[in-house]
Amino acid sequence: MASHTCKTFLSLGRINVPGLGLQKTASRAAYATGLPVNTSAGNKGLPDRSGRGSSVRKPKRDVGEPRTKKMPVDQDWTAVYPAATPFRQDSIPLPVRMGYPVKGGVPPEKKGNLELIKIPNFLHLTPAAIKKHCEALKPMCTEWPSTLDTDAKCDEHFPIKAESTDYVSAGPSVRNPSARIVHLKVKLSSLNLDEHARKKMLKLVGERYSKDTDILTITTDSCPLRQQNYDYAMYLLTVLYHESWKTEAWEAEKTVADMEEYSWEDSPSQRNILDVLVRMKVVGEGEGQDVREQLLGRKEVQEYKDSVTRLKNEGESEDAMLQYKEAVKKVFNL
Amino acid sequence: MAASMALRRELCSLARIFSNISPLAPRALSACSAHRRFNIIRSRLPSTSSTSFHTATVFSSTLSSVTVTEEPDSLFQKVSVLVKGHDKAVLDSYEFFATMAAKELGISISKVYEPHKDTERLTLLKSIHIFKKHRVQYEMRTYYRCIELSHITGCTAQVYLEYIQRNLPEGVAMEVTKTTMEKIPDHILEPMWKDHPVDDKPSQ
Repeated sequence: MASHTCKTFLSLGRINVPGLGLQKTASRAAYATGLPVNTSAGNKGLPDRSGRGSSVRKPKRDVGEPRTKKMPVDQDWTAVYPAATPFRQDSIPLPVRMGYPVKGGVPPEKKGNLELIKIPNFLHLTPAAIKKHCEALKPMCTEWPSTLDTDAKCDEHFPIKAESTDYVSAGPSVRNPSARIVHLKVKLSSLNLDEHARKKMLKLVGERYSKDTDILTITTDSCPLRQQNYDYAMYLLTVLYHESWKTEAWEAEKTVADMEEYSWEDSPSQRNILDVLVRMKVVGEGEGQDVREQLLGRKEVQEYKDSVTRLKNEGESEDAMLQYKEAVKKVFNL
Repeated sequence: MAASMALRRELCSLARIFSNISPLAPRALSACSAHRRFNIIRSRLPSTSSTSFHTATVFSSTLSSVTVTEEPDSLFQKVSVLVKGHDKAVLDSYEFFATMAAKELGISISKVYEPHKDTERLTLLKSIHIFKKHRVQYEMRTYYRCIELSHITGCTAQVYLEYIQRNLPEGVAMEVTKTTMEKIPDHILEPMWKDHPVDDKPSQ
């Protein structure tokens, strides 16, 4: 008993010093101790405090009627819900029901409904509120230049496109490492390149060029910041451009295997067809270079050349094969 | 008064952009040079944007605190906003809000569509020890909604995205992909070997 009183006295002793200054209920609520508070023991410790114990509670206020009853129909809703706030069932004059329905009944009402509080609500973003916000935001916006209305015009004046992604999510960190990636897209036709420079550029760039759309895509993610990656991508583009205009000494050693497109001159196909025609003695007796040149000048041989070049460059297709067939028939007079 | 102010601001914004597109509209440029001097101060979007607009008195102070700077505005050909969440109804409401805001601010929306949802399913043991035949299955669904805006300037994009992101509901994530348009920089217009012919050094 004595020890018990001692304990309670200790607990009350802890409360006492600030409690006296603050008075009443606030301090009592703030100091919850694990020790049991005995009414009789309490009276001994605090003669000046009246009625301290578990039986006395602070007087409860009446709930009163909900605010919805006092709301006029044409009120300003943006004043009721100016910011994102949880659902307050007394402030919303709507008979909302949410939750799994009671058996044979309806979903529970909004009074004391946790589901309605849990879900994010958009009551602060009604159309009237959005209009008000946008009215205030309008002065800070700028107009798009009216002359750049089609994509073609945009591409003509602004050919370089830089693409990057920002991420917004909740988590321990605001940063997302994928945000540093930059994709730079350029159409090669908009750069000032001659034939040799274009071919060299394509060889330097390899996989990053797409033939169908004529777009070169440079993707950089080696630097930690987006600005750095963008600068690096522009630097790469500059270097590629200037290097492709340079002609090195070893470029003269380009072989037939390095060529991008098939050319018929000095190819096995040309030699073969000329050999065959000379053997067939199409032009009559005569050997040597002038006979071959004469043969080359003939229309059938030119058509044959076109069909073979088309087959090699564009790949095989119905039209190409038909064209080749016709050309061969004409050359051999079949 | 307000109309002329709006006109001047628009002309100045055009001047900012047209200073880069000189061949396009020389007339507009010369007209704008007369209106270049402004004394308006630009301020960042106030942090309590959604709370302080229910009173009419705030409007005048916001209008007077906008600066116009001389640096050229960036141009976005496409801004794609992808929102991800677990609840489709929340994303529906957010889409309504975002599209309405874009319409009010005069931003052209090119496409609003809903990519297919992703479902991640787990099958775990129900009990902590033995009872292998009794399992419990969970699934996590991620719903998507994509709003694509086209032909939007840097200032407008900044304003719109900040507004959208401040009102992003809890439990919803967003990815914004921006495609900026730029001119070819001066050092790529002509190869440098033309002015300074370099004898062919053996490349490393």
